[in-house]
Amino acid sequence: MSYLSISNVSKVFGGVVAVEDFNLEVEKGEFISFLGPSGCGKTTTLRMVAGFELPTSGEVLLDDENITYKSPNERNVGMVFQSYALFPNMTVAQNIGFGLQVRKAPADEIKRTVDEMLGLIHLEKHAEKYPYQLSGGQQQRVALARALAIHPRVLLLDEPLSALDAKIRVELRQEIRRIQQKMGITTIYVTHDQEEALSLSDRIVVMSQGRMEQVGAPSEIYNHPTTEFVASFVGQLNLLPVREVDLQNGTCKLNGQLVRFDHSEPRQISDKPRLAIRPEEFQFGQAGDRNVVLGRVEVVMFLGAVVRLRVRIGEALVSVDLFNERNMALPRVGDDVTVNFPAHACWIM
Amino acid sequence: MSSKPNLQHVNTKRDAPQARPALSAWRDWLGVAPFLLFAVLFILLPSLSLFAGSFQDSKGNFTLQNFVDLMDPSILGAYWVTIRISLVTALGGGLLGFMMAYGVTVGGLPRWVRSALSTFSGVASNFAGVPLAFAFITTLGRTGMITVLLKYIGLDLYDKGFSLYSFWGLSLTYMYFQFPLMVLTITPALDGLRREWREAAENLGATPAEYWLKVALPILTPSILGTMILLFGNAFGAYATALSLTGGFINLITILIGSQIKGDVLHNVGLGYALAFGMVVVMAVMMTIYYFLRRRSERWLKQ
Amino acid sequence: MVEAMRRNTFWSWFWMAVGVLYFILPLVATFIFSLRAKKGVLSFLAYERIFQDANFWETFTFSLTVGFVTILVSLVLVVPTAYWIRLRLPHLRGMIEFVTMMPFVIPAIVLVFGLIRVFSGAPFFLTNTFVGTNALLVAAYAVLALPYMFRSVDAGLGAIDVRSLTEAAQSLGAGWPTILFRVIFPNLRVAILSGAFLTLATVIGEFTIASFLVGIKAFGPYMSLIGQNKTYEASSLTIISFLLTWAFMGLIQLFNRGKSDGTLAGAH
Ligand SMILES: Nc1ncnc2c1ncn2[C@@H]1O[C@H](COP(=O)(O)OP(=O)(O)O)[C@@H](O)[C@H]1O
Ligand SMILES: [Mg+2]
Repeated sequence: MSYLSISNVSKVFGGVVAVEDFNLEVEKGEFISFLGPSGCGKTTTLRMVAGFELPTSGEVLLDDENITYKSPNERNVGMVFQSYALFPNMTVAQNIGFGLQVRKAPADEIKRTVDEMLGLIHLEKHAEKYPYQLSGGQQQRVALARALAIHPRVLLLDEPLSALDAKIRVELRQEIRRIQQKMGITTIYVTHDQEEALSLSDRIVVMSQGRMEQVGAPSEIYNHPTTEFVASFVGQLNLLPVREVDLQNGTCKLNGQLVRFDHSEPRQISDKPRLAIRPEEFQFGQAGDRNVVLGRVEVVMFLGAVVRLRVRIGEALVSVDLFNERNMALPRVGDDVTVNFPAHACWIM
Repeated sequence: MSSKPNLQHVNTKRDAPQARPALSAWRDWLGVAPFLLFAVLFILLPSLSLFAGSFQDSKGNFTLQNFVDLMDPSILGAYWVTIRISLVTALGGGLLGFMMAYGVTVGGLPRWVRSALSTFSGVASNFAGVPLAFAFITTLGRTGMITVLLKYIGLDLYDKGFSLYSFWGLSLTYMYFQFPLMVLTITPALDGLRREWREAAENLGATPAEYWLKVALPILTPSILGTMILLFGNAFGAYATALSLTGGFINLITILIGSQIKGDVLHNVGLGYALAFGMVVVMAVMMTIYYFLRRRSERWLKQ
Repeated sequence: MVEAMRRNTFWSWFWMAVGVLYFILPLVATFIFSLRAKKGVLSFLAYERIFQDANFWETFTFSLTVGFVTILVSLVLVVPTAYWIRLRLPHLRGMIEFVTMMPFVIPAIVLVFGLIRVFSGAPFFLTNTFVGTNALLVAAYAVLALPYMFRSVDAGLGAIDVRSLTEAAQSLGAGWPTILFRVIFPNLRVAILSGAFLTLATVIGEFTIASFLVGIKAFGPYMSLIGQNKTYEASSLTIISFLLTWAFMGLIQLFNRGKSDGTLAGAH
């Protein structure tokens, strides 16, 4: 039996299905991300674990105990809100100590825990400040410390970094992972940012329109997406129309040229079969055992570490990502190019 | 702010104003000159005049005697009654208004109640003075409808010592515009209580009562106190309602000043000015407290 | 949980009921009383008498006129000032706001006391002439209207980013009149209207200042006079005055629909 188990959970809001048949087993100490576009039901699922929403059906078990109907203040589940939700009338230290205070913990224990938490988030110097005197990033750290101070059984974070600048976001996300691993705390992290999910998680749950699309380790989600939604939501994906698909031998015709693809995983083929391939799998030039196709460059975008080209291959316009090199001769718009890609990197959808 | 204008596309030859480039400072000030002149003439000058007058005796010589005379028991009594009535109606009206605002914001009453309440509060908080006094006389006066009804069922209010024309009667009347004012000013503050605060408190193990005691009420306290100060001032300066209700037979500072304006009842012009000056001092102290309270709650509630 | 919810709504309803009764009972009593001018039957006789009273129409017209003039004066004072503060003198904002709050510090009775002391003597002698007295009345009311006029207009200006609008208009070649009348004012319509109606609601029945400056020429003192000797007519006046307040507040809400309302006045 796993530590946290969400089984057959659904939530309907006055006719609108927000979450449908959600099933997840989380191991102790695991870091799980819910990833999906806005409105897909991530927050609702999280709030059912926290106890703020009652599931329409299904149940939530934590440490072998059915907590589905338990009120939020008895669950001992820590939550970090998207908007921080720090109490404006309390100092940083009072905010962090609030959970222990309502638990009637002795004063010295509260003080010890608060100090420990302040050390963990590196805000020792700001203990007596009020939330409005802190930056967004600092407020988010305090919110994290406040949730951790009660030594919760599960830590829930709802898009905790979405209101912050890009740079602080990356910094804080490593911070969160470090603290999570140090404390070994079971964590569910809601985000719509695939980079966050991929870089942080032990496992990712990709969601769409209230349903779970796929559950798996980051590399699994990225490299072996099981649905078209996952494939295109996580990372970039080119979908090129192909003909004469032969699933047995893993071959098809792309713009008249024969192309081999990965057919090790069983796949359904729709009536309009398309070849799926990620932009970074392409290289220029001829290469012995790889697929080779001809195209014409239509757009060149310099993005820094990566150069993204849009290459016309037959009727399809394909994104091709190249790593930037200092003395690289960039192709120009209008150039005819030969691109190649390995057979194992593409598949039919 | 300091960035240089970058409006090459503005045709500067036309009579078009430029927003950023610095005109000379005095021309900027010219824009607010009419307002300042008005303020000097009709706010500053009258205030200064009362201020100066309160330091003069009947011959125009400097004196502090007027302030000594303020210590007269009947005048101190008038201040005291005025302050007490303002306190009582601020507290009473504040409490009732808070409860009603609570009901429509977090208390779970349906939305239509809220919009009805906001209309009614707008009306009632502006319904004061002469007609309000009439309405209460018709209701709770010696032959008022409720007085008579209660007498029918055996409760004679006036036998029991109640009088509309006394302290409590006047308080009851003032409350009619006090509690709607509380509703209007405290509702936005209650709206400012964010759902996440309640949820965060609950999530950390707090009961609803603990949430209210430790989070919601402390957050609301500056707004509540601030609004009560507004209510206090509202009652403190009230004249028309009190005059129409009691015919001037209640010892309020405003009534006293009114009689003094009509005909030097204090037999000392300077004392009248000192009286008025005293009112302004009380109000100024109140508004200063209000200012600091409001600043605090704005700081807390801004997001 | 459910039990607690139910109890909560019970108390909410309870306090709401207390407030509503408080609000409604005096009105009901007054209304019923106002219908009893004719012995033994309910009639609108008291209202008919009021509407046939020339003094009613005279004083009402007078106060209404004073109200409109006050609105004009305070708009001329407040709108350009608030606009200019936002555009050019943001550092003066605190001071101007402070000035507009003064009516909260100076009660109406004190204000009129000071006004009389300053303007009845040399060098103004305003109270010696009709025009002078009326002008003083308008000035006093404009002071009373300052807090909510300024707040209303300033909030309106805050909602439209005056600076960008002005600069955009300039960059398109607009001059001052165009900017003010075609860009700024139309965007302030709601703010101006609610400030204006609030002013009307306060001014029309105002008693304190009117009684000392113009006496029974104004509607407030007229009501007071009626109250001293004609009780039924006084009740009908109360109802009329209540309906007027209601109408003004209703109009404000209509304009402010969706916004938080600025229906806070003073002067009781
Ligand atoms: N309290 C609610 N009442 C009605 N609908 C809701 C409520 N909360 C969420 N929803 C709906 O449920 C769906 C999922 O919402 P949410 O869980 O917030 O999505 P996410 O967090 O993934 O953006 C949305 O369509 C949203 O409109
Ligand atoms: Mg969400």
